[in-house]
Amino acid sequence: MLEHIAVVFTFSSLLTIAIGTTAGVAIGGMPGLTATMAVGLLVPFTYTMDPTAGLMLLGGIYCGAMYGGSIPAILLNTPGTPAAVATAIEGYPMSRKGHAGLALKVSVVASFVGGTFSVFILLMFAPLLARQALAFGPAETFLLALMGLAGIISIADENSSLIKALIAGLLGMIIAIVGTDDMSGSLRYTGGLIELIDGIDFMPALIGLFSMIQMLELAGMHQHEIDTSTLHKTQKREPLPKGIGKHIALGSGTGTVIGILPGEGATIAAFISYNLSKRISRAKELFGKGNPEGIAAAESGNNGCVGGSLVPTLTLGIPGNSVAAALMGAFIIQGMIPGPELFTEYADRTYPFILSLFVANGVFLLVGLGFAPYLARIALVPPALMVPVVGAFAVLGSYALNNAVFDVYLMIAFALGGLILKKLGYSLEALILGLILGPIAEGGFTQGMIIGKGSPWIFIESPIAKVMWVIIFLLLLPPLYSYYKNVHLGKEDPV
Amino acid sequence: MTKKTADRAILALFIVMAVLLYISTANYPGIAKTTSAKYVRFLAVFIGLLSTVQLAHSLYKDRSHNRLVLTENMPRFLGLLAALIVFALTFEPLGFFIPAAVFIPVVAIMLGYRRPVVIGLTTVGVLLFVYLVFVKLLAVNLPGINF
Repeated sequence: MLEHIAVVFTFSSLLTIAIGTTAGVAIGGMPGLTATMAVGLLVPFTYTMDPTAGLMLLGGIYCGAMYGGSIPAILLNTPGTPAAVATAIEGYPMSRKGHAGLALKVSVVASFVGGTFSVFILLMFAPLLARQALAFGPAETFLLALMGLAGIISIADENSSLIKALIAGLLGMIIAIVGTDDMSGSLRYTGGLIELIDGIDFMPALIGLFSMIQMLELAGMHQHEIDTSTLHKTQKREPLPKGIGKHIALGSGTGTVIGILPGEGATIAAFISYNLSKRISRAKELFGKGNPEGIAAAESGNNGCVGGSLVPTLTLGIPGNSVAAALMGAFIIQGMIPGPELFTEYADRTYPFILSLFVANGVFLLVGLGFAPYLARIALVPPALMVPVVGAFAVLGSYALNNAVFDVYLMIAFALGGLILKKLGYSLEALILGLILGPIAEGGFTQGMIIGKGSPWIFIESPIAKVMWVIIFLLLLPPLYSYYKNVHLGKEDPV
Repeated sequence: MTKKTADRAILALFIVMAVLLYISTANYPGIAKTTSAKYVRFLAVFIGLLSTVQLAHSLYKDRSHNRLVLTENMPRFLGLLAALIVFALTFEPLGFFIPAAVFIPVVAIMLGYRRPVVIGLTTVGVLLFVYLVFVKLLAVNLPGINF
């Protein structure tokens, strides 16, 4: 372990982490830009970097962006990321009352504790879980992919119904079958386009679905005035409130556990932590009016997701959320396939990456304590300037991975098609997860069929497979129940 | 077009796709017949079934008449889309820098930004950043004319 720590504590590594984290805080602080967008946009560029440095840069962006969203949420009532919405509920009223400095301090300390705790869990449990993955055969691999899909479908809400989330996931898996069939070596569904021989790369899809869509939406949105009156109310220095540790601990634990569940993202973690905190609070009546306990729980919750989401990503190849999916892309393009090998053959890259996340948490703690009020001004960057800059990077990023202009067209097509699907209530997270998990599922399925001599029983036979079916069922149970309830009560279809 | 109509059209498209996908598996050669073809059939059957259920649900239950609004400002939305396509078309013959030097200010002005100095500085800043970081530092190969 000492040798891995030494890799992290070199000047170049620390500089890379610091740049990534600070950039992440800035990106997270810009409303409309998310961690997924930033990581997805930069993955192609890290291809030419030293693998460890590239991963550290992306890890820093992930940690920084998760925290950065809270700054404009507190000071401008404009959450930088969806995960910071719960923070805005308590943070902005605090700012209005002149306690912006305290709200920012609670936010950064809670984010630091939540993030550090979750990375510690990642470091402790990921290698153990990865070793268990050695017992997985092709059938279990196929079920793992289904489990990942079931996980993201389980968060289907009023904006994306259960059936539509399932359809989107399957659509992603169908898009993934375009290209060369591994079994026969023949081409399928390429339409004669040589660019599709290797299939549809998920990076242009990711950039199109998560970066370009946001830009298209921003471009067509009426701009609203942001109240900046609270920006000058940040100077007052106040100590952390007594008893706040309980809420930070609650959020850290909740966020980490939710992050580990495939598909459950930081927004859900923040809201669940916030609601749990409200339940145990002695000052329930202050929630919604500026209670620092709410900020503590929400921020430790969404940052707790960072390490948690990487547990299934690095060990089983099942991304915990869409940012983890983008990070998984960075591992894959470096030839590092998630699973036990990451902790054996590629240990010299994986452990420094995990350890760098501790440093990233430390970096944003320093940045937050020292510069948060100034960083809030990032939220004031006009979308009219942000859109063309991100658009240019989206084009460059889509092109850079395969040096193919065709990927730029794919990115635009995914953005436009994805926007239509999104407006009709289909889950884009499920679509991208289907695209990523498709090849894993197909590999597991086809090899399983060969081993099982054409019998599908192989997918049920082993004890592990049985347990996995139970987990898939449990993941689908809440949305199924919710769907049944909606139909039973005659609620209108979301669309 | 209403959301309901657009959704039904998409679901009908998914059903047609599922049928075509299923039929196509009959032509899979050799070992793929018993492996990949079954996987593709599995996907086709499930997406076909789910799309049918959703379409039936929409036909019998959906009484809403909400319009499908892709954007609040269609000219700007289409303008950005057109600019992206032109950027992509010129990317190979002209490289990154010339199209980007046009794309960034044009889109900023199109979206209503009217401070030429800020636009100019932003454009130069982005181009300089890409040149130093991606071309010089990361050695990313960009097509066409480079500097």
